[in-house]
Amino acid sequence: MADEQIPTLDVRGEICPYPMLKTNEALDGDQKDVAIFDVITDHPPALSTVPPQAMKRGYEVEIDELGAGEWRMRLTKI
Amino acid sequence: MTTDSLSLENDKPNALRPVSGQTYAGLTVVALTLLTALFISRSNGEVAAIWVLANVFGLTLQRARFCFASAFRDLFLFGSGHNMKGIIVGMGIATIGFAAIMSWIIPNPGAGFLPAEAHILPVGLSVVVGGVMFGVGMVIAGGCVSGSLYRMSEGYIASWVAILGVIIGLGALTLTWNWWWGFTISTEPKVWFPSIGGLGYTGAIVITLLGLAAIYLLVTFMEFKNGLFTPHINKKVIPAMNFDDRVRSTLDPIFKRGWPVAIGGVVLGILGIVMYTIHMPLGVTGELMRASQLGLGWMGVDVPVLDGLSTLGGCTGRSGESGLLGHTFAITVGLLPGALIGALFAGEFKLRLPTHKRRYLQSIGGGVMMGYASGLAIGCTIGAFFSAVPSLSLSGWVFGLAMAAGAFAGTQVIKRIG
Repeated sequence: MADEQIPTLDVRGEICPYPMLKTNEALDGDQKDVAIFDVITDHPPALSTVPPQAMKRGYEVEIDELGAGEWRMRLTKI
Repeated sequence: MTTDSLSLENDKPNALRPVSGQTYAGLTVVALTLLTALFISRSNGEVAAIWVLANVFGLTLQRARFCFASAFRDLFLFGSGHNMKGIIVGMGIATIGFAAIMSWIIPNPGAGFLPAEAHILPVGLSVVVGGVMFGVGMVIAGGCVSGSLYRMSEGYIASWVAILGVIIGLGALTLTWNWWWGFTISTEPKVWFPSIGGLGYTGAIVITLLGLAAIYLLVTFMEFKNGLFTPHINKKVIPAMNFDDRVRSTLDPIFKRGWPVAIGGVVLGILGIVMYTIHMPLGVTGELMRASQLGLGWMGVDVPVLDGLSTLGGCTGRSGESGLLGHTFAITVGLLPGALIGALFAGEFKLRLPTHKRRYLQSIGGGVMMGYASGLAIGCTIGAFFSAVPSLSLSGWVFGLAMAAGAFAGTQVIKRIG
């Protein structure tokens, strides 16, 4: 699947708790039960706080470093 | 809510990472901070030692992403006790070390003397008001005082604004301190567990550790109720193909990946003990208090003589004692290069501007609240909580509970801000 088709939430520039808050809002709202979902962040703590929230909603999380201080968390529905 | 599709250029597997410019910058900062320690040691060996320990302090905060604001807030917001558990582990370790040091200074705790350098602070309205206000402030600002300090080094512009707010808040507290002193603080008792009803050190340690264990259980229960569990996160594993990769796979857990927060707690607990053996427990607000008073002086405002403050100990009580290269300077300013080293080696340094303008208001407003509150409670999450509970002082517990109440109120505020 090409990246363009994956719904993406860009929370760069946001600090705690907004990356998790907005990911949860998306997963509980307009992206509910989406098969695959990308979250882009530049806030390192989000890498340890978003995954438990995603897993609670039935997602696997894979983290990729995009560049200096930026990461993509790819959430895949199990 | 913006859920648009982004196209990301660097989607190819990052097979071999070159040594980045950030690593070289990190090595430069290591050299510079050691030179600074050498320079300080020519006039004061103790302060030089504190400088180096502060570097480790900042590195640990950054690597473990130690965050008191998140510890309190996420319990209420997400039912997550991730950070709180690390803090409890750290305080448990520090408790045993602190008790050993205090029993050496004051062998008979029932005799009416308190160990002078321990963070045994008055208990009363000031700690409750300070704790609640601090809890609200740190949640609104998105980080407590120590959290904002190490994020300054990571390149968060909002954290610079938050620390400016803290300094302004401490200035406001300086101008109103004497009122608080007369109103309540002068009559507030210092409650030190070992001196109460024959508890002694053993009883006080048992009470403190049981209390910490009870809170650890409560936090675990809150996580269970919320359906949270410790995640197993898939990270792409790159096979070690050559010597260079093998060296990296050894160094990466320390310098590249974040530390588990419990490891951070253990290191901070031990650091607190070492700091106390050298001089006094960890605390960061003293230097910011000094900065606020310098600022008042520059603006031509007379800094009043603060009644009773020097008898209280703790963070701010000591701020008047030291000159430029003093204890408070070393511990507070010294954590900045430490956190910078951590961020650079991890390749995490980045100038980060908030996306929304309202975040600046949150930072300055939350910062002012934290500053005023930390002056009132004579310390922040580090000095009045993380160093006070292991000092076997009731004040640490009261400050912690009040912060929890404030953090709860703060989460209601930020949910509405969005």
